[in-house]
Amino acid sequence: MEQPLVDLRVLEIGGSVAVSAAGKKFADFGANVIKIEPPTISEVRKIPPFPDDNFHIDHGAMHLAFDTSKKSMILDYSTNSGKEILKRMSSDSDLIIIDLPAKDSEELINLINSDAGSSTNIVTITPHGMDGPYKDRVENDLSIFGWSTRSHRHSISGRAPLRYGPYAGIVQIGSTAAAVGIAAVWGRKADGIARVVDISGVEALMGNVDSAFFLWAVNGATQPRSSGQSRGLYPMGAYKCKDGYMLFSAGRDPMFTKLCNAIGRPEVAKDQRFIDPEQRPSHFEDFKKILEEWLITKNKYEAFDHFQEHGVMACPVLDASELQNDPQTVFRQSYIVREQPGLGDITLAGPPFRMGGLHSDSWVSTAAPNFGQHTNEILKQYKYSNDEIIALFRAGVTT
Amino acid sequence: MTSQMLSGVNVVEIAEVWAGPFGCSLMGDLGANVIKVESYPRKSETRNAGDPRIDPRVAEGEGPIYERINTHHHGNRNKQNIALDIRTTEGREVMSRLIKWGDVLVESFSAGTINRLGYGWDSIKEINEKITMLSLAGWGQEGPYLGRIMFGVGFDAMAGHSLIRGYQEDTPEEMIPILHSDATVPLTWIVAVIGSLMQREKTGLGSYIDLAQIEDIAWQFPGIISEWSMNNRIPKPQANTDACIVPHECYQSAGEDRWINIAAETDLQWQSLANFMEHDEWSELGHPWSSIVGRIKDRKLIDDKINEFTKKYDPFELADQLQAKGIIAAPVLAPPDPLMSPQLHARNWFQIIDHPYIPERLLGGFLWKVQPDMPSWDKRAALVGENNNDILMQLGFSSTDIAAMKEKDIIGDTYVEERT
Repeated sequence: MEQPLVDLRVLEIGGSVAVSAAGKKFADFGANVIKIEPPTISEVRKIPPFPDDNFHIDHGAMHLAFDTSKKSMILDYSTNSGKEILKRMSSDSDLIIIDLPAKDSEELINLINSDAGSSTNIVTITPHGMDGPYKDRVENDLSIFGWSTRSHRHSISGRAPLRYGPYAGIVQIGSTAAAVGIAAVWGRKADGIARVVDISGVEALMGNVDSAFFLWAVNGATQPRSSGQSRGLYPMGAYKCKDGYMLFSAGRDPMFTKLCNAIGRPEVAKDQRFIDPEQRPSHFEDFKKILEEWLITKNKYEAFDHFQEHGVMACPVLDASELQNDPQTVFRQSYIVREQPGLGDITLAGPPFRMGGLHSDSWVSTAAPNFGQHTNEILKQYKYSNDEIIALFRAGVTT
Repeated sequence: MTSQMLSGVNVVEIAEVWAGPFGCSLMGDLGANVIKVESYPRKSETRNAGDPRIDPRVAEGEGPIYERINTHHHGNRNKQNIALDIRTTEGREVMSRLIKWGDVLVESFSAGTINRLGYGWDSIKEINEKITMLSLAGWGQEGPYLGRIMFGVGFDAMAGHSLIRGYQEDTPEEMIPILHSDATVPLTWIVAVIGSLMQREKTGLGSYIDLAQIEDIAWQFPGIISEWSMNNRIPKPQANTDACIVPHECYQSAGEDRWINIAAETDLQWQSLANFMEHDEWSELGHPWSSIVGRIKDRKLIDDKINEFTKKYDPFELADQLQAKGIIAAPVLAPPDPLMSPQLHARNWFQIIDHPYIPERLLGGFLWKVQPDMPSWDKRAALVGENNNDILMQLGFSSTDIAAMKEKDIIGDTYVEERT
């Protein structure tokens, strides 16, 4: 099938992880995405791991994953010459996604939309939004997660709040940009109106459905910080088995009864110590012992099969070495191995969704571009002559 | 009126919990017409509370408990609601008309369920060949795990994320269950369904989209699989640290359970931080900490020094002062802290929602601002079956038909409370 986004032209500006993740959502489904990178090297290229721990500007894992199927152009958009190029490129773009400081984004918005009747959809990504007293603050992966209300909840009482895995929040912000960005493209095709979308990273995280703030806001009650294994609604959390850990979410009935049946202890599901909400927390250790006595004799895939046969929400906790061997990921080819020029085979996550069948070609992941690999090609595409391209290079506008 | 980007796009939701419903709310924010077909007579998962004596998810107020549960409200704004037993003959006729009306159908049952209910893709496209159907089962629609059940916390564990996000010294037993995929999957599926609508413009036909939530999580964390495939290492929990940046940590602040995140990614930021802490010598050439290499070697010592310093300050005030010097710093917020943010107030982020059964509250706002048409909370989370009549009339059913469906308990506007 033809890729669904093949008619779209998208520019991403800023080189951050967020803007790279946003652009990838378009690129792998066929859009023509140009990654406009600063001469100072995009952030996404600097983040480890690197193969064999050897730094290379084109070999960072984040770049290899999030910049697939794109073209790379180096452009100093802080110069007037760079702005002129950007203005020309924006004229036939459906969407421009920018992750720069608010004042720089504002300048680019004014530049791109300066001509009456020729505006373009623009999405800006900033930590706190394009206005307000915090608009010029600098944040990163860690600090912005602190704002989100998730860190505090993702922690144990008395200990430091935790972020999620590195860049979880940043990638989520980029995904937010992609979602509203594609809606803006659809909207403009329908009503002719170009939108300017302002994404505050803090609002994108705090406004999402798992925000601890929202949970508080509706009921006004402060929920206690979590523990790993729930002491009240157990079993919820990870429990040790023979070769690792199993993750359970089986604290409520009918799941709890099914679990007790599955481990051959149906009487536990009728024992007031374990089902009365007021008694339950003080008997957590007793229950844990019962469950672990059964679990310790089973490896995690045995336990997974067994619990699922009994309709219990339980699954193994996997580490990186196990991901590619899981039967489901093997069947679906959830991870792919493909060649990266100059590097060899690399392993990447496959499509985030399948359109038109499990192995349809709606999703095609081609190699991430080298730094500035397509600068010359793109300038020619926008009708710059060879002499002009050399002049831009000499002036430091492109490299 | 909310944004009109998706004006004219009709969305039918038969989805549970968050990943489907919240995405439909976002589609509603963007201007789509969303009809939630709510489970009936069995309650939706998000309307199920535990014992209200101990379940903190239930808001104070009058009226049914299932209308006061916070997990339901946030994922269900900007929709209409019909509570329908889709297993009945009459319910199937309603569904058939909704599918004809819809541009998008969103379902989130465990894999195989939708087919058993008679609403698999082959059946749906027979009714409306132009519709886009989205399925959100955690492991997807095909493969050996067909029919297995789990939700976000488990997909996080099986995608490898759980083992990299805990405290560095702890076992997985202390790993906090999270629902990250419920927040991120909607963002992905919106791209998918609008992409499908764009394709329909050319082909005239809809598409079927199979989104496995676990694959969307894998997509978000390339560092996990790459650490293994590139370097044959299993990544460990990093907590709040970054291997290449010092300082990069969550530090104690004055007050009980108060914290601040601070990072200095560059020598310049470190110089500003050292100056603020009245230790200019830490950033002077020759001092081991003036270089990132030296700072990484002395990570713990530096963290201890900063921790001693930050303990004396309120996290909000200290973050203000550090940010004024260009240093990355942010208070760690716990509810109700967001209400103290002058930024969120300045941007009119909070929303006041009028609801018949819960007290007036400031709720969280939208994920984005849009010019010229800002999102707005036009419809609060609907009461169960609140729009039954309007929707059925719109679909061409008569008052007599509707009365008969109500009489036969095929539609309804109340649930039987199982626990009070």
